[in-house]
Amino acid sequence: MTAPAALLRRRRTESAPARAGRRRPAASEQFAGWAFVTPGALIILVFGAVPIVWSAVMSFQRNNLLTGNTPYVGLRNYRAMVHDPVVAQAVQHTLVYTALFVPGAMIAGLFLAVAMNRKIRFISLYRTAAYATMAISTISEAVVFIWLFDPSYGVVNYFLSLLGIPQQQFLNSPSQALYVIVIMTIWGWTGFSVVIYLAALQGVPQMLLDAAAVDGAGPWTTFRRVTLPLLSPASLFLAVWLTINALQLFDEVYLSTQGGPLNATTVLVYYVYEQAFINFNFGYASAIAYFLFLIILVVTAVQFRAGRRFTHYRS
Amino acid sequence: MRTHWLGVALASSLVALGLAACGSDASSGGSGGITISIWNGYTQTEAKAFAHLVSVYNKAHPGTTVSSLYVNNDNTLQKVLTAVRGGSPPDIAYLYGSWAPNVAQIPQVVNLTKVVQGPGVSWPDFWVGERDVATVNGKVIGIPALVDNLAVVYNKTLFAQAGLKPPSPDWTWQQFVADAAKLTNPAKKQFGTAYVTPGTEDTVWHWEALLWEAGGQILKPGNKQAAFDSPAGLQALTTLRDMAITDHSMYLDPTDNAYTNVFNSGKIGMLVTGPWDLSVFPNVHYGVQVMPSFPGTSGGHQTISGPDNWVIFNNGATHVSAAEKFLLWLTAPAQVKYFSLATGDLPTRRSVETAPGFLQQMNKSLPGVDTFITNLGNVRQARPQTPTYPKVSQILGNMIVSVLLGKSQPQAALAGAAQQVNQALASTNG
Amino acid sequence: MTAPAQAMPRRRFRLPFSPWHLVLVPATLVLIFPFVWLAVTSVETLPEALHFPPILTPHTIRFANYPDALHAAPFGRFFLNSTVVAVTTVLCNLVLCSLAGYAFARLRFLGRGALFAVIMATLMVPFQVTMIPQFIITKWLGIHVLAGVGINHLGALILPNAATAFGIFFLRQFFKTLPVEYEESARVDGASRLKVLWRIVLPLSAPALATLAALTFLDSWNNFLWPLIAVTSTSQMTLPLGLATFQGAHATEWTLLMAANVMSLAPMLLIFFAAQRYFIRSVAATGLAGT
Repeated sequence: MTAPAALLRRRRTESAPARAGRRRPAASEQFAGWAFVTPGALIILVFGAVPIVWSAVMSFQRNNLLTGNTPYVGLRNYRAMVHDPVVAQAVQHTLVYTALFVPGAMIAGLFLAVAMNRKIRFISLYRTAAYATMAISTISEAVVFIWLFDPSYGVVNYFLSLLGIPQQQFLNSPSQALYVIVIMTIWGWTGFSVVIYLAALQGVPQMLLDAAAVDGAGPWTTFRRVTLPLLSPASLFLAVWLTINALQLFDEVYLSTQGGPLNATTVLVYYVYEQAFINFNFGYASAIAYFLFLIILVVTAVQFRAGRRFTHYRS
Repeated sequence: MRTHWLGVALASSLVALGLAACGSDASSGGSGGITISIWNGYTQTEAKAFAHLVSVYNKAHPGTTVSSLYVNNDNTLQKVLTAVRGGSPPDIAYLYGSWAPNVAQIPQVVNLTKVVQGPGVSWPDFWVGERDVATVNGKVIGIPALVDNLAVVYNKTLFAQAGLKPPSPDWTWQQFVADAAKLTNPAKKQFGTAYVTPGTEDTVWHWEALLWEAGGQILKPGNKQAAFDSPAGLQALTTLRDMAITDHSMYLDPTDNAYTNVFNSGKIGMLVTGPWDLSVFPNVHYGVQVMPSFPGTSGGHQTISGPDNWVIFNNGATHVSAAEKFLLWLTAPAQVKYFSLATGDLPTRRSVETAPGFLQQMNKSLPGVDTFITNLGNVRQARPQTPTYPKVSQILGNMIVSVLLGKSQPQAALAGAAQQVNQALASTNG
Repeated sequence: MTAPAQAMPRRRFRLPFSPWHLVLVPATLVLIFPFVWLAVTSVETLPEALHFPPILTPHTIRFANYPDALHAAPFGRFFLNSTVVAVTTVLCNLVLCSLAGYAFARLRFLGRGALFAVIMATLMVPFQVTMIPQFIITKWLGIHVLAGVGINHLGALILPNAATAFGIFFLRQFFKTLPVEYEESARVDGASRLKVLWRIVLPLSAPALATLAALTFLDSWNNFLWPLIAVTSTSQMTLPLGLATFQGAHATEWTLLMAANVMSLAPMLLIFFAAQRYFIRSVAATGLAGT
């Protein structure tokens, strides 16, 4: 007699916060929340947040990493940054690169993930091939793409010549080099998108797809109306993650063009490295890194905001 | 079932953590001896020869253990600077000579000026180019670990096919340019020569060799003003430009990587490069010749060298003296001779070069290296030993690449670069 | 209305295999093309490897590159180190990121948003700038807390990555897609939150956990920069550092390097290949059947 009533009461209080959204969570929930989060957060804060604060401090110093003499110079590094033409170029290159890379990697990954989300023969091999592109060392990736895009001996120019297109300079051309890097990195990251989308596709209940088919929806409409919205959390994740990584592009530039030709592939992190370890200007490098940090922070916040409107969490 | 699996996983991770926790720490030497760490980038034959020398020394000196750690030379600076700032520098590190003016500012770097004047060291036995790079503001901060220089490596087969006479020791840049044009064959995708265009120091120092051969200078004495925007600079830059833009005889490599393999595939006639590349040309019948000259200038067949240093860091008096002892032994004539013969690296000491039979022995294992060795006599000066040189290098790199890509004319490029260099040097306060 | 749109007997050209193969095969070829170069170079002789454009059909095959690569440096040790580091990192991540990800996804606590933002922020500063503070912190921990996590110990390679913002973010997203009803009814039945996570959420998350494990393993296995800075003796080197011993400043031993690369890739690919079946959740496990 009392049991169902008690159950009913409990049910109401349990779901009330979910509906009202404003009720303060119970103390036990607060405690559980912090208890769950602390071990992981502690590690990340110690090894991630502390260095970030440290770097912020360094950005206000003149620091060449050689001596311990690091006087505070206030905003001088930041002012120098504003007047540095290479910083403006680096910002432009970084943003252009990101704008091309992120959608490219997501779309390629989505397409392949949908293709690989079925039980046909050899499917394990196809999926492993996608994963393998992430496993390959960057130096191997760089060597192969440098060869593919070599103006004289490369395969791409060979195919272009078959189509009657004259020899392109690719990595030798300030106007084309960045796009070659875009292609190289989309290749390298497609596997990542595939893996993420594959995991997310498992959350799309077959029931819903069948129901859509019953309602007469074609495959493309089903995909657009049912699958894509259900994939939106994964899409948000990918968009945020790929963007954060794209804005910090370094390895491929370091291993192929070293920021050239004529700074055409100098992106912000490469410039940070150059200032820190070639020009021994570590304070300045920290300031640039901080500027990049702000850019990434703003872009990510915007993505989360937009994501809140477009992502569909099934709860 | 799941619990069981998890139990196994947890147990194994505990074991793993246990293993990790008692990871060996090699910095404590055995039975009361001391261990000195030496970070170097030796690979392949160099690594083997070096390991042999280290084990010989360790056996002969039971109180000391020399422990070698591989770090790719390009990465050494980051690792060393992090270690220095973290208070744990190595005892000895192999550092590029181009970093010397900046490395000299590290307080933990040991001043070796008195040490190299010590008995038996014979400091003047090291080539002048090496000594110049190991000395910053009168202070000796390193002992030469490597010396090299630029010369011309050419493909004998391609020369014969084109009906050209191979380069002679008194050849000129005019002949180089003419040969390059004749060796270029677009149908066969063959180029007369090549140049690296990433815009880094590798781009710059190749051009600086021409600048010096044309009788020019990089910076004025005092290192506060540009001196390269001179007729010599123009001549050097125009020579390269003619090959790249007019004759199309120059393969441009923006990645600093592919050109050696292209040469080894028989597609390039002549390369300006160093002795380190000789071992990667197994498929080519090559010859080596000194740099050409610009007739009518004081430059002659002078060349440029890029020596590297062993640098000692202060980890306490016992470590420093043990490190000094090891380094002096390592760079003594007997060990230099052994190392050169084993690896094909140029000898860092003149006495080793003149040792009877040495040149022939070297040339037998690495044909063509004898020209590089005697070419050491053509090294007359070093690049400016100033901490601001990296900035100068970047400006010069952009200048050279923009001319080679046809984006600017030599005269204007030189003037623009000189203005930028003067600005950069003026705005530096030490 | 009940009879589904049954296909009228139509003449359809039927391939003996699924048409998706026509898409996947070319796609896979594009994806694995660099591996072809890698594998071919690993069995070439050096003179043929030093060719540009690269030779993909060598005249001489040299399998001895593999034992040569293994003997060039103590690869057994590097392999063991990498395995210990990667396995431990993966296990720690699975545990810690599940806990934290669940908290961010489902639990409400004061400061949740700010903490999540700070955690995400740690992803936004490049390593070149954070490596020196990270070195100093690691050194301090090794001296004052536990020797095993200090400089030149495998613990130093594990601990900074034992929980990653990536893992927390990824699992948070995934947990939010799960229908909350199961968890709520379990709570109503008196289960503790930990039990809810352990008994309800994690089993439903097998694909995500498998994905996280695979990606974390990959990241740890290939990690180069931090081990470069933190390791100061050969016995503590991991595989990427070992591979670097083939790359001199001027000349790279391509054949041995690629052989070593193949041997380094193999465990990762095998693990992924094996973990794959967890990517497809069986209908029974989801509990969706019959809902």
